[in-house]
Amino acid sequence: MAQTQTWTDTGIAELINLLREELATGMESIVGLEMATVCTAVVGSTFADPADTATHHADGGLAIQAIDTVGVTTVNTTNDTITFDHVLTATADNNLAGIHVCNNDDDVAFIECCFASVLPMTDTDTCTIDGQSTLDQA
Amino acid sequence: MAESVRTNAGMKVTVNNELRTGVCTECGTRTEKEFYMDGERKRVRMTCPKCGGMGKLIVKTFTIPAPRPPQCTRPRCLWKFVKAVWACSLMNKYQAKRCDYASHNRDRIIKEKYRTGEPSPQNIKESIKAIIILRIDKLRRC
Repeated sequence: MAQTQTWTDTGIAELINLLREELATGMESIVGLEMATVCTAVVGSTFADPADTATHHADGGLAIQAIDTVGVTTVNTTNDTITFDHVLTATADNNLAGIHVCNNDDDVAFIECCFASVLPMTDTDTCTIDGQSTLDQA
Repeated sequence: MAESVRTNAGMKVTVNNELRTGVCTECGTRTEKEFYMDGERKRVRMTCPKCGGMGKLIVKTFTIPAPRPPQCTRPRCLWKFVKAVWACSLMNKYQAKRCDYASHNRDRIIKEKYRTGEPSPQNIKESIKAIIILRIDKLRRC
């Protein structure tokens, strides 16, 4: 299975709430997904119910945490792209199947990414994530 | 006269991911988070506080962009799109197998291209060849 990544429906709804100045928060957190086999990212995934049978890691250095850097950049038009960079450091042996990029309230997953293979991480291993999302009118 | 088709690109996501050991390959020191500027973008990486080295690369994974939708309804345009989808599917298959192979051989010496994904096959012919080579032990080591 290939690496898959997508904005989720609930992530888009949160974005619309931000535009409407309703109760919503921006991109702030990241959490590792745990699953024995490769998962497939789908738009219908939510924070509480990730893709396939994946679950959020609760410990081992892969639990929910603040993203190291969130920035803005330009791909086609000025400031049309949000960037996020983060290093997950394992503190125990764990499988990392993917990630959820979440809001500051830790109740909405904006982006779901399932890696091309399940990454077996041992204690002290590091996973450097470099992500970006472009809202493109091209 | 063929009709032209308009498409909207929407929201695109790309994620690149690098799995490394947490110990410097040069001096054996535990690596630490280092923030740095890449142009105007603030980024983060794991480096050795003593010598600036990095942990051993286990595997890199990345997003393979989906082919652009056909821009017209002529048979030639549609055939070009079908070929692009086929190539993308094979490239994805190769990358999945490569990542699996590299992550399950983390402590063994394997070819660097299987860890970095570079160079990667770029078309149907190269992808089929790369998948066959990856499957056969003797060819993989050549």
